[in-house]
Amino acid sequence: MAIQPQFYLLLSAGVFCAGLFGVLTRSNALMFLMSVELMLNAANINFVAFSFYYGNVTGQVFSLFVMGLAAAEVAVGIGIILVLYRNFGDIDVTGPVTMRR
Amino acid sequence: MAVFDYAPAIAVLPLAAFALALFGGRYLPKRGAIAGIAATGGSLVLSLWMLVTIALGADPHQQTLYTFVAGADGVASVDLSFGIFIDQLSALMLVIVSLISLLVHVFSLGYMNDEGETGLPRYYAGLGLFTFSMLAFVFSDNLLMSFMFFELVGLCSFLLIGFWFRDDAPSSAAKKAFLVTRFGDYFFLIGVVAVFATFGTTAFVGEESFIAMAEHAMPGSEAAVPGVVSDWLGVVGLSASQWFTVVGLLVLGGVIGKSAQFPLHTWLPDAMEGPTPVSALIHAATMVAAGVYLVARMYGFYALSPTALGIIALVGGFTALFAATMALVKQELKQVLAYSTISQYGYMMLALGGGGYVAAVFHLTTHAAFKALLFLGAGSVIIAMHHNENMWDMGGLKDRMPVTYATFLAGSLALAGVFPFAGFWSKDEVLFETLIHGLGSTGGTLLLLGYAFGLLAVVFTALYTFRMVLLTFHGDARTDTAEDPEPVRWNVKLPLAVLGVLATVVGVINLGAVKKIIGESNLFLHEWLFHGAEGLNGEHYEELLHDFAGYTAAELPGGPLAPAAVSLGLALVGVGLAYRLYGGADPDPHMLKLGSVRTTLMNNYYLDEFQVWLAMSVTAPVARVADTFDQGIVDGVVNGISSVSLLSGDRFREIQTGIVTNYAALLTLGLTLLVLVFALAGGWF
Repeated sequence: MAIQPQFYLLLSAGVFCAGLFGVLTRSNALMFLMSVELMLNAANINFVAFSFYYGNVTGQVFSLFVMGLAAAEVAVGIGIILVLYRNFGDIDVTGPVTMRR
Repeated sequence: MAVFDYAPAIAVLPLAAFALALFGGRYLPKRGAIAGIAATGGSLVLSLWMLVTIALGADPHQQTLYTFVAGADGVASVDLSFGIFIDQLSALMLVIVSLISLLVHVFSLGYMNDEGETGLPRYYAGLGLFTFSMLAFVFSDNLLMSFMFFELVGLCSFLLIGFWFRDDAPSSAAKKAFLVTRFGDYFFLIGVVAVFATFGTTAFVGEESFIAMAEHAMPGSEAAVPGVVSDWLGVVGLSASQWFTVVGLLVLGGVIGKSAQFPLHTWLPDAMEGPTPVSALIHAATMVAAGVYLVARMYGFYALSPTALGIIALVGGFTALFAATMALVKQELKQVLAYSTISQYGYMMLALGGGGYVAAVFHLTTHAAFKALLFLGAGSVIIAMHHNENMWDMGGLKDRMPVTYATFLAGSLALAGVFPFAGFWSKDEVLFETLIHGLGSTGGTLLLLGYAFGLLAVVFTALYTFRMVLLTFHGDARTDTAEDPEPVRWNVKLPLAVLGVLATVVGVINLGAVKKIIGESNLFLHEWLFHGAEGLNGEHYEELLHDFAGYTAAELPGGPLAPAAVSLGLALVGVGLAYRLYGGADPDPHMLKLGSVRTTLMNNYYLDEFQVWLAMSVTAPVARVADTFDQGIVDGVVNGISSVSLLSGDRFREIQTGIVTNYAALLTLGLTLLVLVFALAGGWF
């Protein structure tokens, strides 16, 4: 017997909250990036779960797009982190505040 | 007509002299004087040619030279243009202006060049521009062009009065002349705009001119009311005669400023700070004459409004008397002449207001001759006295400067109105016209009042004139300089001689007082001005005065002889009084006996103080309140708005910490709040 969809949703919500928690509390840029990946994957879980539930492949195709997007985002994110390190000697995101005001 | 093709050159020649003197004056012979003499001489020849052409029967000439704003076709629009209009009046005035200007240029050789003045190219450039402006003003064919050159005349007077700008007095006198006349010109400008708004044109000439349209718009006129005028009268909500009175009085503001009429006459005595030839030019032919000429030019418009005419007559008559009293006590030669100018222009205004169009133009003509003569004579005395102008330091000059004395005496007799000099004929005609129209018209009381003022002023005029002559030329020399005055050369004597002859004989052009004897048709100026352009001649003006202003000439039993005898008698009384008071070898300063009256007159009735008080105690506080309103309320609203946004911006930028985590937290918070709001609103709980 298939697992009820609400469990997928609970799993997804849990993963999302873990990602959100990471974004709000971590100051290391790499951890930041990973947390964002978690949040994206929580969304993927939802897509796939509903796709399975309705017997429709659109959601699965969409989750493939999200993965592609996540890969692109990581490429950009890593680039930003590299520049951050080069300019500030650190990848702590709370450090660079020179642009405020 | 080929001759009229040369008309623009009348004004352009002095303009060329101006440019030459300004840019190349240093290299020119006599620092630009020769160029000026050649140019004004050329203008004089051309003007005389125009005069003769018209006298031989040519029609008046109107031509648009340049349209600088052309109205679109088919819409209610206006054309702004420069044009020339040569008729009997403007041809006569062109001759006067160019003649006086030529003589002033010649005289300047003696007064400026021989005295070793510096800055002469600037001086001759100013004279050239002055002459150009006045000539262009005289032949302009529309009111807007008149206004532009009227202003240019004012500018030139500023430049020339302030010629010795390194001293304080001339530069402040120049500013005063500029500002006081500008005050009047402000009303003139509004008047020009009002004429544009009412008629859609400012042309002087033809059926489409504003003068002709105004006549047609009057109730009782046989012609149809022009549509544009009746539309505008509907907008302002006044009847035609009321509105034309308002417009006429607005334009009159400029006239009162320029022609130095009460209460805007205060600039003129101060303007004596300028070089004496400039004073002659200003008083006789250019600046001051411009105002009176303007009223004469648009007399067809003023003739429609008895109220405006009454005000002109009263202002003129009052000014004539008022200025004459002040001239009685002055000690400087030129000051006496300055007040006499104000007084004489008062007579011209009195004549215009009193329905004496010809009389006004006649007095303008004779006055140009004898006042230029008196000023140049005064200039000659000033050269002789090493620039001391106080008459009490002179005396006995008649034997040492016979040419100056003879010509000055001729000018003084003309000014005093003694038979048979020019001033007698013209002043008598002014008074006579005012008298007969005052007696014959209903509501002629204002005119009779003006006549009484004018008659009383005759005595004062003769008294101050001969006080001046006797103190300057008669008696014993009171100083060493007067013992041994500096001789003057031909370039001073020649203009004096020319003007002396003119001041003696120019009255011949209109021997009004004896018209019963010589016959009406021998009043040359009368005939001349009665055969002008269609709708712009004396005959037509008389009809207008009769139909619309209600002026009717009374028939006096003895004709003009009796009033002439009265005014001549009064003039002789004044002369006799002057001779009795100042005729001795060593005259006493009798005017000192007047005590406080003399002090008041010396201080010009405290009018200058009053005007300063008006500026300091009335205008300045009002300006200060307006400034406070502007700074506090108007600017305050704008500043308040900006400071609110500045303050709130200052507060709100605190949330921009620059830390990514905080932004993420705010995003999350916002999202949560949004979900909560949706949840509550959607009733999920």
